[in-house]
Amino acid sequence: MTPPVTPLPDLAAGYQAAAYRMILPEVALLAVACLLFLVGLATPRRLVAWVVGLLGLALAAGLALAPAVGGAELGLFGDPAVGRTLAPFDPTGLAGFTRWLALGTALVVLLTAWPELTDGTAAEYVGCLLVVAAGTSLCGRANDLVSLYLSLELLSIPTYVLLMVAGRGQPGQEASVKYFLLSVLSSAVLLFGFSYLYGMAGSTNLGAVVATLTDAHVTAVNPLAVVAAVLAVAGLGFRITAVPFHWYAPDVYQGGPTGVVTLLATAPKVAGFVALARVLGLAGPAAGVPFDASHTLVPLTLWTLAVATMTLGNVLALLQTDLRRLLAYSGVAHGGYMLIGLVTASAGAAPAGGLPTGVDAVLIYLVAYILMTAGFFAVLLHLGEGVRTGDDLAGLGETHPVSAGLLAVSLLSLIGLPLTAGFVGKLLLFVAAFNAPATTPMGGGFRVLAVVAAVNAAIGAVYYLRLLGVMYLRSALHPLPRGKAGPALLAAALCAVGTVALGVYPKPVSDAARVAVPAKQ
Amino acid sequence: MDNVALLRRVLLLVVLFAPLGFALLTVGSRGLARRLAAGLAAVHVCLTGGLVAVCAGDFHQRGERLAAGLSRPTDGFRPIAVPGDTSTQPDLDDGETAWTLFELAPTGPGVPPAAIQFYVGLDGLNLWLVALASVMTLVGVLASANVAADKPGRFFAWLFALQCFVTGAFVSYDLVLFYVFFELTLVPAFFLIGKYGVGGGRREAARTFVLYTLFGSLLTLAGAVGLVLTNPTPINPVGAEPRAAYVITLRPDGALQLPAAGPVTFSIPRLMQNVGTWALTADYTVRWAEARAAGPDVSLAEAGRLRAEVTAAEVARDRRQRTQLWLFVLLVAGFAVKTPIVPFHSWLPAAYAEAPLGATLLFSAVLAKLGTFGLLRIVLPLCPDAAVAYGLPVFGTLGAVGVVYAALCAYAQRDLKLLAAYSSVSHLGFLVLGLFTLTPEGITGAALHMVNHGLTAGGLFAVLAVLYDRYRTLDVNAYGGLAAHLPGYAVLTMVLCLAGVGLPGLNSFVSEMLLLAGLFDPAHAPRWGFPLACAAVAGLFLGAWYTFTMLKRVFFGPSRTPPAGPPAPLTRAEGIALGLPAVLCLLLGLFPQPVLQTMTADAAVVVEQVRAARDRTAPPPARPAPPPR
Repeated sequence: MTPPVTPLPDLAAGYQAAAYRMILPEVALLAVACLLFLVGLATPRRLVAWVVGLLGLALAAGLALAPAVGGAELGLFGDPAVGRTLAPFDPTGLAGFTRWLALGTALVVLLTAWPELTDGTAAEYVGCLLVVAAGTSLCGRANDLVSLYLSLELLSIPTYVLLMVAGRGQPGQEASVKYFLLSVLSSAVLLFGFSYLYGMAGSTNLGAVVATLTDAHVTAVNPLAVVAAVLAVAGLGFRITAVPFHWYAPDVYQGGPTGVVTLLATAPKVAGFVALARVLGLAGPAAGVPFDASHTLVPLTLWTLAVATMTLGNVLALLQTDLRRLLAYSGVAHGGYMLIGLVTASAGAAPAGGLPTGVDAVLIYLVAYILMTAGFFAVLLHLGEGVRTGDDLAGLGETHPVSAGLLAVSLLSLIGLPLTAGFVGKLLLFVAAFNAPATTPMGGGFRVLAVVAAVNAAIGAVYYLRLLGVMYLRSALHPLPRGKAGPALLAAALCAVGTVALGVYPKPVSDAARVAVPAKQ
Repeated sequence: MDNVALLRRVLLLVVLFAPLGFALLTVGSRGLARRLAAGLAAVHVCLTGGLVAVCAGDFHQRGERLAAGLSRPTDGFRPIAVPGDTSTQPDLDDGETAWTLFELAPTGPGVPPAAIQFYVGLDGLNLWLVALASVMTLVGVLASANVAADKPGRFFAWLFALQCFVTGAFVSYDLVLFYVFFELTLVPAFFLIGKYGVGGGRREAARTFVLYTLFGSLLTLAGAVGLVLTNPTPINPVGAEPRAAYVITLRPDGALQLPAAGPVTFSIPRLMQNVGTWALTADYTVRWAEARAAGPDVSLAEAGRLRAEVTAAEVARDRRQRTQLWLFVLLVAGFAVKTPIVPFHSWLPAAYAEAPLGATLLFSAVLAKLGTFGLLRIVLPLCPDAAVAYGLPVFGTLGAVGVVYAALCAYAQRDLKLLAAYSSVSHLGFLVLGLFTLTPEGITGAALHMVNHGLTAGGLFAVLAVLYDRYRTLDVNAYGGLAAHLPGYAVLTMVLCLAGVGLPGLNSFVSEMLLLAGLFDPAHAPRWGFPLACAAVAGLFLGAWYTFTMLKRVFFGPSRTPPAGPPAPLTRAEGIALGLPAVLCLLLGLFPQPVLQTMTADAAVVVEQVRAARDRTAPPPARPAPPPR
């Protein structure tokens, strides 16, 4: 199929107004961020910035609740299917889910970051946070290589500022520089990959790109397409901390300010997975252009990436004593689990009976991952900077029963015990992996992936359980001060409640994910 | 009549979740914690007694109907007392539930939902295990006279939580629900060992236990998901009503019309039927194709096409069997660790030795049954072909090795707790061996032996609790001549130990005889049965040896008293803790038939599923004729 690339000026002009309405919440976020930068000049008080930030999120949420822009706007191009291959933003598919995920993450991080805000820099901190939320949210809406790349940059650039603003002292600066350099490198790699995609498709539109990729694989594996896909995966692999692009994570997590690290552990993962799914044609509005990735090298690439990521992440996490490094590797490992969903989605499964195909399982796991990881970080922030290693948590069950309880919920979920979000996420990933067809060139490889993940989850349990044991089975070595950060504790409580709620009653989230990634027919 | 059906459902829910309420009640109590916990546990035993009273009659009738030939065991498990029963008539049980927890995929009306359901119920296989859990929790609470903790209320709360989760796993008919309860038992077990343990290595033991079990059970989860997805409900692919149940028909070209894959299901009874149907159609396809290829009036061109059809059908069947073998391995992993079957038992000595006696009692009496029950409820019915092919050769052998090895280990122990622990492994090895004979006697015997072993093993740990309370050690060399000081205690101990050894007139004798009968059954286990049975008998003999050696050292010979003076007589609580299992051992030994009768019908369901698989793998001459149509 040749992509229609002729721009239609009249129709596109009609579409423009609809496009603005589509991204109104993100625009609002950016506007509030700009307002914050000004407010910061007027008053240095952190409470003001914090409240304005919360109000900005509330405003964005309110706008997002307004009647959604449906796929009808794409009809302005004549045929919605044609619109999909022209419009820079797409109102369907992942967009809504990603937006709520971004707003929720931003809320949790904003609450969590309260103890880290200082008078004077608070406005920049909160403003950047809102920009990150806007960038993450736009990733799900982008329907064009340029808008996707810009969304990713909108997410990345404020994080450099955040690391610099909040990170004082040498480790903070080191983390900041390391993250900056590697992030810029990954952006460059991604852009390089995008340029190949553009070169092949002659269009920056994702629908057109995916259609070209399909064409490129009809007869044989197209080397250009392989290079493009590998570069795109490499560039986005940085965001989702996939091995071997994960090296920055432990150092940055350890050195960076905890609130910012919470953000780095969550928002780029959302953006990265959504962007990967879109670029590789595994999800989203390209439904009209069925891309059969199963006979390309995409499944094998992602399969290798998934196995390497979860295994290395778990094994290296075993060796960590520093809690933040441990969480970094744990984040790597969970990124590996989530990659399973993309692998199985790339099998091009015509899902049996509407079961999860992969990308919807990834979305659910993303929610679970954010809840448990952000919950963990929130407790750490509540307890203060005194907690660096696992041993510092000794006896927490006796001295800080509430914090310990919240941390325990998050740990049990990370292990994947039933009645927690982590279990639901793993279960759905397993279902997706076993649901993948065995008739593609990968054969039974997808099913093997479920077993590899099961073994990995058992390895992961070792270090999570060690922390549980330290908290509840040992007595305190040195007394920790009472936590003072109320909002951080509130964030942790929200995350814990969410973890259990998703574990006990996953239906709302799973329905939303199913709507976001409608099953192919 | 509808009152009884409703009463059963409510009572089952109460019995299942009451322990969680008890846990909340006891968690804050301090001084009166044990009395409160004992009272609550006694209430629970009464409730369970009521549940048994209103349900056992039904299962008894099932057994009678089966014996009279009025029912056939091909219908799969039919639980009763299912909350949320889909039956439209209030006085009848459908045995399926409408309580959906999580729907994975939408399905139309008339099709069972592809959903994880809160599907609990009772049949002859789990009723007595629920009762066992209830009784043993009471014994465990009574035997925990002095928990080494400043907050004993929490200890009892964890015990009750453990009881709730174990009971939940016993009564689950949904594969994922079973797994949820199965996995949740790890949390109380972790704290019971790690926080209330007696030794210095308790933290390590708790972690090893949880990690080892988790490793196995995560593989089980992968296997369970694989099983569900590879065995969707078969539906009729032709006709106006695609939802109708699948009936074997012929396609216009003469080949068998294979069923279409319908929605997936997590319900164990449904899965069992699906597994059977898919295996059956795969087998029939091969045989029908063979029969057509061998037909008299086949032209040459036709013959080539039919040969290819045969090959294709064989490939499909072999792929199905290979998949089932992998799923079998994955599923067994968790249960083999939990039971434990011998090479996977290395977590056990540390966990049992470090845990407080009340907890060890529950682990050995009830928690270990989850492993064997999982084999009985899930592995055998859902992977029958693999179980027939590899069950006895692999796991039967492991069981037999375990019987002898663990018995020798038990003989070598000086610590009585470890002796009891290894004795438990030895008995469970015997149970697994009997289970994998896949004969009616073996499976019924295994179902009964689960209850019997729970009583004797639990009773034995209660015996040790009394000793530990008096002597503050469990080193066998510290004791001697105890029969002179505590004659009543000695008698109760004798009863429990003899029951464990399998003395006629006591409970284990009945089940062990059934297990042996299954092993010696020449119809089903011709090659592997005899050497394995010999190993099992040797293990029984060794069991008697170490038990009597232990009894001799503790109760007879020169008297040794603890430093604090002669041991105090049994308290009333201890009397109940020992007397209750002892009396039950005696009752079950003298009147096994009422209990056995309730199990036969549901054990026959498993046997039937396995028999069908055995027929499929039997060499061609012994096969039944191809389908008539």
